[in-house]
Amino acid sequence: MLKYLTGKNSAGADELASPGRRGFIVGMAGAALTLAFARSPLSLANPDKAVAEGAFDPTVWYWIEPDGRVVVNIAKAEMGQHIGTALARIVADELEADWDQVELRYVDSDPKWGYMVTGGSWSVWQSFDQLSRAGAAGRSVLIEAGAKELGVKPEQCRARAGRVIAGNRSISYADLVRGGGISRSFTDEELKQMPIKPPSERRIIGGQTRALDIPGKVDGSTLYGLDARVDGMVYGRPIMPPTRYGSAVSSIDDSAAREIPGYRQTITLEDPSGTVPGWAMVIADSFHAANQAVERVAVKWSPGKTTGVHEQAVLDHGRKLIDAADQGVLVRDAGEVDQAFSDAAEILESEYITHGVLHFQLEPVNALALEKDGRWEIHTGNQWQSLIIPVLAKALQVPEDRIVMRTYLLGGGFGRRLNGDYAVPAALAAKAVGRPVKMVLTREDDALFDSIRSPSVQKIRMAFDGDGKITAMEHHATAGWPTQVMAPGFMADGINGKYDPFSIQGALHWYTMDGHRVRAISNDLANDTFRPGWLRSVGSGWVNWALESAMDEAAHKAGEDPIEFRLRRLKAQGINAGSAPNSVGGASRQANVLRRVRELSGWGGELPADTALGVATSYGQERNMPTWTACVARVRVDRDSGRPTVEKLFVVTDAGTIVHPDGARAQVEGAALWGLSMALHEGTTLRNGNVVDTNLNTYTPLRMRDVPDIDMEFVDSTETAVGLGEPATTVVGPAIANAIFAAVGVRMREIPIRPEAIRAELQRNQKA
Amino acid sequence: MPTEFKINARPVTVDVPDDTPLLWVIRDDLGYTGTKFGCGIGLCGACTVHVNGRATRSCITPVKDVANSVVTTIEGLAEKGHPLLETWVEAQTPQCGYCQPGQIMQAAAMLRDFPAPTDEQINQVMSGNLCRCMAYVRIREAIRMAARRMQAGSARPQEADHA
Amino acid sequence: MSKGWYLAIALLVILAVVLALAVWQPSIPAADLAKRHSFSPELVERGKVLAGIGNCETCHTITADKPYAGGVEFPSPFGSLYSTNISPHPEDGIGRWPREAFVRAMREGVSREGAHLYPAFPYTHYKNITDEDLDALYAYFMTREPVAHTPPSNNLSFPFNLRFLQWGWKLLFFDPDPWQPDPGRSEQWNRGAYLAKGLGHCSACHTPRNFMQAEKKNRAYAGALVDNWYATALDESQPVPVHWDTDSLYQYLRSGTSNYHGVAVGSMGEVVHRGLRQAPDSDIRALASYMESLSADRRNTGNPRQLAAETITAAQQRAHSEHGAGEALYVSACASCHYNDPQHPLAARAELSLNSAVTADDPTNLLRVVIEGVGTGAGTPILVMPGFSTLSDENLVELADFLRRRSNLPPWKNLQQRIGELRELHRQSQHSATGKAGE
Ligand code: FES
Ligand code: FES
Repeated sequence: MLKYLTGKNSAGADELASPGRRGFIVGMAGAALTLAFARSPLSLANPDKAVAEGAFDPTVWYWIEPDGRVVVNIAKAEMGQHIGTALARIVADELEADWDQVELRYVDSDPKWGYMVTGGSWSVWQSFDQLSRAGAAGRSVLIEAGAKELGVKPEQCRARAGRVIAGNRSISYADLVRGGGISRSFTDEELKQMPIKPPSERRIIGGQTRALDIPGKVDGSTLYGLDARVDGMVYGRPIMPPTRYGSAVSSIDDSAAREIPGYRQTITLEDPSGTVPGWAMVIADSFHAANQAVERVAVKWSPGKTTGVHEQAVLDHGRKLIDAADQGVLVRDAGEVDQAFSDAAEILESEYITHGVLHFQLEPVNALALEKDGRWEIHTGNQWQSLIIPVLAKALQVPEDRIVMRTYLLGGGFGRRLNGDYAVPAALAAKAVGRPVKMVLTREDDALFDSIRSPSVQKIRMAFDGDGKITAMEHHATAGWPTQVMAPGFMADGINGKYDPFSIQGALHWYTMDGHRVRAISNDLANDTFRPGWLRSVGSGWVNWALESAMDEAAHKAGEDPIEFRLRRLKAQGINAGSAPNSVGGASRQANVLRRVRELSGWGGELPADTALGVATSYGQERNMPTWTACVARVRVDRDSGRPTVEKLFVVTDAGTIVHPDGARAQVEGAALWGLSMALHEGTTLRNGNVVDTNLNTYTPLRMRDVPDIDMEFVDSTETAVGLGEPATTVVGPAIANAIFAAVGVRMREIPIRPEAIRAELQRNQKA
Repeated sequence: MPTEFKINARPVTVDVPDDTPLLWVIRDDLGYTGTKFGCGIGLCGACTVHVNGRATRSCITPVKDVANSVVTTIEGLAEKGHPLLETWVEAQTPQCGYCQPGQIMQAAAMLRDFPAPTDEQINQVMSGNLCRCMAYVRIREAIRMAARRMQAGSARPQEADHA
Repeated sequence: MSKGWYLAIALLVILAVVLALAVWQPSIPAADLAKRHSFSPELVERGKVLAGIGNCETCHTITADKPYAGGVEFPSPFGSLYSTNISPHPEDGIGRWPREAFVRAMREGVSREGAHLYPAFPYTHYKNITDEDLDALYAYFMTREPVAHTPPSNNLSFPFNLRFLQWGWKLLFFDPDPWQPDPGRSEQWNRGAYLAKGLGHCSACHTPRNFMQAEKKNRAYAGALVDNWYATALDESQPVPVHWDTDSLYQYLRSGTSNYHGVAVGSMGEVVHRGLRQAPDSDIRALASYMESLSADRRNTGNPRQLAAETITAAQQRAHSEHGAGEALYVSACASCHYNDPQHPLAARAELSLNSAVTADDPTNLLRVVIEGVGTGAGTPILVMPGFSTLSDENLVELADFLRRRSNLPPWKNLQQRIGELRELHRQSQHSATGKAGE
């Protein structure tokens, strides 16, 4: 085999096991590299060793080294949200730690971390209380120990920045830990009782800081799944079957590939878990050799039954399901809806379409799998370890406790890696060839294997009485249901059956209406053709697009200002009054962000021709953890080409307590631009059972030259901290569509919005 | 045929098939994993390195084409130090970070050609680098900051590397 | 038999004899190997520079370890020719050629053995070389390392494989009189003309050929496709926004780059970086001065810098006004390297609205660099461009169409077909490379 003559040593598996391992880089590139950032904020420490050497670990979430470093265990996927920093700041605040001494440790899968999932913008919201109490527990012990050392009563002491202070004397946490004798740990029950500080005493939460994961992402030292490497590994690249489901390999002819240097073999994966039916995989010494071989290995399949399914068929099927009253699940049915429609003076009815969206996380999915001493190690970036480990166990035919997922940083998540299906073929291949296999998908493979955001069809109907008041709203929404396909245990109970809560969230709005009916329908043709996925903001991403477009249509129909129209319905009464702890204030807080964005955007002012503002609002992801969000988009439409240019976005967010303000801004920036990208630049379609667009030559996410100015604001709040990663995604699309209507009078009801569609409508209007 | 070149100031000779993309040689044979694989067809910029001082998409550059060149990766840039690395941290630019080595390498090359870039120039030159996290606002900001700093003379851009 | 018939037969016989005498060229006896020539080092050195200007190496060398041993293929509509071994190897090369045989070959296109050479060997230009320069060239070649290597024989179709027919070709297209300097022109111009018309044989590539593969006299330097590279037009028909002038020609011939025209790659890359590298500055300037005169009639009078700035600005504005597939590809794939400040276009960022690969009437050069990329071995040694062969044919058409629109030029025709051909060419060269790597 031809390999390199000179260069660098490869590092062994153990050295590479965790993403914080600077040892790898140092060994490779010489000491100079680490000088760029003197202190690595990502910990190399080993907790067991640390404890054996006298560290203090009051809970599983962190420990304090004898030198005073506080190492916080992060059991969440780091994929751009700087979640490690946010969680560590929650701990540090209650612990009264010295922030400069805090380090992060991204942990491998282990039952002790509880249910491991990173998604739904849940992380801070879910962890806030738990980590606060864990920090407080440590502080109480340290104060007690410090009091003893200082010869005073605990009540006379306070803790600040890693020291216990009494009057003008103090002692550092490091000294206390070094002194030994503080090995107290807490039960869950004790922790639940642990009192925490009032918000007014917070010193770290809400303060400005730099994210600890950033330096390594700037100098190239951060390790992602793609960078995993162990001795003796070979590369695997799949040859994708013609359909996502139901394909079976009938023959493989690799005679043309055998002359490729480094090519080993092509295997058919036997998958008891049914995750990757019909997969063949090329095994080679290098990725290049694998790529060349994929071009030359001839595989024949008997394809699954969806080879002929096109996008239109999925949408048409969705329409049929909506028209059949007995389909789907009623999620809400309040008031006299049918009565209202039969009494209506006027009815507004619109259909909204969204097309498939690729996750296109920049790092194509990959996984390195190996068996060591009867234990399976899966090295990859993942968002939902607890979901995929049972699947891996089934695929490998081993108990779950024989599988560990080694943690790496993620080159983008956006929900793609909630679905850990890509770990399965890597593990199967490693089992088949009896050595470590690093499976890397090319971008094209990644797109074909993606669990896309399903194409969707929605119908919204509104009944108006003679005074122009909305008396009832019906919202019917259908798409492929990821939760039904991948995590049925998370289906929710509706009025007449179980439904995917993540495929209708956004419809349970906080507008007060007498009659309100929401029906969620699973599109079974979609589910059969591809694996629908959770994609940034999940249901709200497309459901709110329809809702907020419809609200705009209704406002225009009523001849009212779109913001006033909404405000009038955000009354914070009845079910919309909100409740403690998560939705205190209810609709009044949504009204508040709407008012703020009205001011910020100069709503109502003069604008040049064919330029206008459009508005949309939402409660983020879920009614039980609302993130109040409002957006105004300023859009100019070129009448000749139909091209809409988004000139500026104004976004106001009320997410309760903001733990890491700069990180929050970054999340809203990213989420808002995702909304823009999906509305105008992305979107794919299905042809013959697969997505048509598989790489950037035809799939064209937003690029810098089309990025508008963003003006954003957060509501100053000490309410419960809720999620930030997604909500802004949900409002930008409808705000743009509403602005287009305001600018040139054409209503776009399909995402992505294409210039040709706008132009065609403009021409139609002109003729009319 | 073995190919000789310099990478991050170290001479190397690699003996891999001539058409092996530089990206995989850098990552797998030379161990510099800061250079990333995003699209593999030259349209995302995640694999951007400098070849003789110019930003180059390594995923579609066969290794034989860089014979006798000077290649610099993000690790090499970090080793030497560059104002962009500082401003990138100051602006808290990266989200997932995966695109960022490529963004920085592209920006570093740009600042040689456009020491005081206008927004339009930044947009045009940097639009070849996709950031899926859409951290564009901060990428732009970090470039502006570095350009200002370099203009003020508090930091100097390096000369282009030549073979 | 009538008298008339005898006369006719006699005339025919005479004609045949005359014809045979005319076609026939004597073999020149092989030189005695024992009596090796001795040449002064200065002469050899001069010959080296001249051989560079003549670009002899490129056509006569297939791999670096076999310099001047021939074997390079020259495809033509009539089949393939292979260059000969011109190293001084006694059997395979020209080791036994006395000076007069060398001179005859260079000036008349006849081998030592008396065979007529095909005009792929540009004796049609070499006839203009002075005695002194031929001496130097002879000295240079005779002092090379002899390389044992027999190039493949030509495989031309009938009747083109009959060498004596070349006599007829010469009769029709070859004027054996050497070029004479023009006393009305400067010394520099005359030097440039001498180099270009003689050893440099520039028009051999840059002039379109007729169906008999002879240069079309009335279209000298109008641009031509040679060996799957397009030698751009240098006469007044040149479609470049900024006219070539002596400065840009000098810069280009010396360094391989011109801020306003692009970078020499492919065959021209070899001419510049391997051929002209040794030539003194004075000769490069002379060449530039002659080349500039080729388009003297239709000179763009504008200041090049201003013309360039206007061209670039207009191109950028045209690009802004559209948002289509081709433009998106340009923004994703090209602009990061090729986007320029209109006031300061940089050769290393080759500005595509000025670039002759885009402005040429033939898409070959653009398509080839896009598909194949440019390596350090192929063009300017420090410039590397990745190859975008992974883009689909449709993408390449969209991109090429966009670049032509951006330059306000009509679309190229038959793009799809040309892309197919050039892809195949690339695939073949890759295949042979992979095969080699596997050896
Ligand atoms: S991986 Fe090279 S440009 Fe995308
Ligand atoms: S930071 Fe994630 S792709 Fe740019």
